[in-house]
Amino acid sequence: MKERILKQFRKNRLSVFSSRFILAMLIVALLADFLANEKPVVCNYKGRIYFPVFRSYLVNLQAARWQDDFQNADWKTLNYDWSVFPPIPYLPENIDKNNLHSTSPFSQQPVKAMRWRHWMGTDELGHDILSAMIHGTRIAILVGLISMVIAGFIGVLVGSLAGYFGDEKLLISKGQLFSAAVFVPLSFFYGFSTRYYVLKDSISESLTGFILQVLVSLVISAFVLFIGYRLGKTAGRISFLSKRVRIPVDLILSRLMEVLTSIPTLFLIISIVAVAKPSLFLVMAIIGLTTWTGIARFMRAELLKIRNLDYIEAAQALGYSEKRILLKHAIPNALTPVFIALAFGIASAILIESTLSFLGIGVPPETLTWGSLLSEARQTPSAWWMAVFPGFAIFITVTVYNLAGEGLSDALDPRLRKES
Amino acid sequence: MINYTIKRLLYFLPTLFVISLVTFIISINAPGDPVEAILSSGAGEGQRSDKMAQEKAYNEVRHSLGLDLPVFYCSLGNQTDCDSIHKISNALHRANLERMAFSFGNWKRVSDYYSALKKTDAALSAFQCQDTCSIKNVSSARYLVSELYNQYDSTSIGRAIRELGALLGKSKETKHLVPAWSQLNSSYSLVLTDQKVYRRYLPAFHWYGTSNQYHRWLTRFIKGDFGISYQDKRPVSTLISSSIGWTLALSLASMILSYLIAIPLGVISASEKDSLKDKTITSGLFMLYSLPNFWIATLLVVFFCGGDWFSWFPSPGADWPSASLPFGEWLPKMAIRLILPLICWTYGSLAFISRQMRGGMLTILGQDFIRTARAKGLDEKKVVWNHAFRNSLLPVITLFASVFPLAIAGSFVIEFIFSIPGMGKLSLEAITARNYPVIFTVMMFTAILTLTGNLIADILYAFADPRISFNTKPGK
Repeated sequence: MKERILKQFRKNRLSVFSSRFILAMLIVALLADFLANEKPVVCNYKGRIYFPVFRSYLVNLQAARWQDDFQNADWKTLNYDWSVFPPIPYLPENIDKNNLHSTSPFSQQPVKAMRWRHWMGTDELGHDILSAMIHGTRIAILVGLISMVIAGFIGVLVGSLAGYFGDEKLLISKGQLFSAAVFVPLSFFYGFSTRYYVLKDSISESLTGFILQVLVSLVISAFVLFIGYRLGKTAGRISFLSKRVRIPVDLILSRLMEVLTSIPTLFLIISIVAVAKPSLFLVMAIIGLTTWTGIARFMRAELLKIRNLDYIEAAQALGYSEKRILLKHAIPNALTPVFIALAFGIASAILIESTLSFLGIGVPPETLTWGSLLSEARQTPSAWWMAVFPGFAIFITVTVYNLAGEGLSDALDPRLRKES
Repeated sequence: MINYTIKRLLYFLPTLFVISLVTFIISINAPGDPVEAILSSGAGEGQRSDKMAQEKAYNEVRHSLGLDLPVFYCSLGNQTDCDSIHKISNALHRANLERMAFSFGNWKRVSDYYSALKKTDAALSAFQCQDTCSIKNVSSARYLVSELYNQYDSTSIGRAIRELGALLGKSKETKHLVPAWSQLNSSYSLVLTDQKVYRRYLPAFHWYGTSNQYHRWLTRFIKGDFGISYQDKRPVSTLISSSIGWTLALSLASMILSYLIAIPLGVISASEKDSLKDKTITSGLFMLYSLPNFWIATLLVVFFCGGDWFSWFPSPGADWPSASLPFGEWLPKMAIRLILPLICWTYGSLAFISRQMRGGMLTILGQDFIRTARAKGLDEKKVVWNHAFRNSLLPVITLFASVFPLAIAGSFVIEFIFSIPGMGKLSLEAITARNYPVIFTVMMFTAILTLTGNLIADILYAFADPRISFNTKPGK
């Protein structure tokens, strides 16, 4: 099955190109610090060999400190015995005082040597564009991946519950229903509502403390839920509570999804982001929380098909629990089409993020992204390179992910190819 | 059919309710104090002497905005919650009192303590320092009182009250303030002795009825009262009505344009499938489809609107032609100004519609009746335009309603870049100015427009294809 899909995928030259391009982008995003950095990768300074780029990771993790020579050093002017600089010797936040006010990539640049050249020019403040583009790749990829991890998690969960149980498969006793109606709010009440001030105080102190307190809250909630579960089971044995009722899982979840899809996403994101403090993670979280319905719909359709297959019936006949069948047998087989939705989702997440940073909302102003670089072009219309390069990066990334998505869907269902 | 329409209409309402709820939740969590924002236009910072007058003005504005009402119809909390806490005007005091009520478990005692504290504060503010009194003592006493408003744990409150008592007892002039202090002290010791901590672990459900902020906001919204813009104190409704025309007119114009171009393109590329023409059109449209419109708009502005390259079009910063010009002069000026925005607004939906048109045509062209038409010797042109085209037109026309929301969403970026005074630009300006009433009104409006678009689309689809019913599910 997988081999057939891969073979089909490889037949399409465009999708092969796009998957290679995506791989290259991932590498650039991973190695951004080694491709564009003010620090040398390796250097020999006063007779000793240092690895400043690696060291900077440790320093950021607070696992190490800079050697005394390098504390607040200007990396470019140090007197190295020998040094290996990254191909682009600038960080996005570095300011080249000799090339302020948007230097064109083709103009004479007052730089020491060719390797200090700004290949894509500089902006008004003297930031190197190419370096900002390389580090922007990392942000774009991160936004796409993290928001789709969030969306994928919710979408797979909701979609598979709706698809697997449908409207008729989930039967629970009245006792369980009542106890769920009481204990689910109670678990939230004891886990989070009464611990509100504890959680609030811990978040202002330290992140680890906050995470610990959240874990405590989760344990309390789980405990309350467990009590409710046991009580519900016991209550289910009492005759008048033992009547089993159907829960229309699919109906409830599908209506919920329909309501969510009719909310205009971009406006929702813009208004949330307008109210909250600018942060990249918030943008990712909101994109993830508002775009999961597409994945859920794929998952639901797939599970509606799978749940009627023979092997699921066989598993039921063997007496496996619903949980085991769903998690171990049904969901893994339905995941492949989700990748199509993920590919399109990454494209639209990157597009939304760059739109937001282009408009200057949501993303902190000091973070240089493709979108914010492009918006600088509006202030200095003569700097064509500010408009061309970042915009092209957004365009090609979005296109490549869309192509990959189309290639995947063609490969998964070759029938579609013939129709269109 | 009618059944479906009615069901779909009924379904419109809960969605609208959810959207209004989401908007409301975001709006009440917006940082900043709306009362301050409204008041800030008036006189500058008041002096300490007119503190009472200031507070009164504050409370009046707060009341007129309905902020002294509970937030929602009901709330779920614990027994220490007080159902009248929203009457306290100062947000910091309110948060602190809520926390005190939570940690001591007895709202009545805490509110007694608060009123004693307020009395002490009033007495201290009214106190005029004579020559003999130490101004330092009085100001540190005032500082202690102001600190007490923000303290919730028993040790720091106790310490502050003791220090306050010592300060007031020091000099003769402040002696007459001591009774107020001792009342404060005794009310605080009642808070301490009469603790009911267990109550915070008992869940409670409060019902407030229709006099709440959400109800008030929603009913006013339906009546067309959207509040007052913080920035220029004009009603939001006038701001909206002056800008919605631009957005609607441009979106409609762009949609008509994209249909006029997209349909022939789709038909041509479908009828000459796999020819060079088809391949160019299809790949060109795919490119257009994934071109971010804000990039294209920026490129157009950089290269064609003044700057160092071509100045074929006026720059986006220029003034709009005034309406007082004679129509013959106004029209060309306006037209040249709108060409670039319309291009950016149009090409995305053009690509989308065209792709759909091609797909629909291909399906139809593969059907039996087309083969029959060809078999009876009709020429290809007639087959394509008279038979296939007509049949594939309807589904594409119904796309109108789902493309329309896209066009509205496009307004954000394009109005921003070309400075068109429409809804998108209005709300972006409101966002930078933190002018919340405008933001949330625009958000509600766009949501309603989008929902209406979806509604019309669904009903049109159902008319076009009577097999659709409300419970049709994909994948079944």
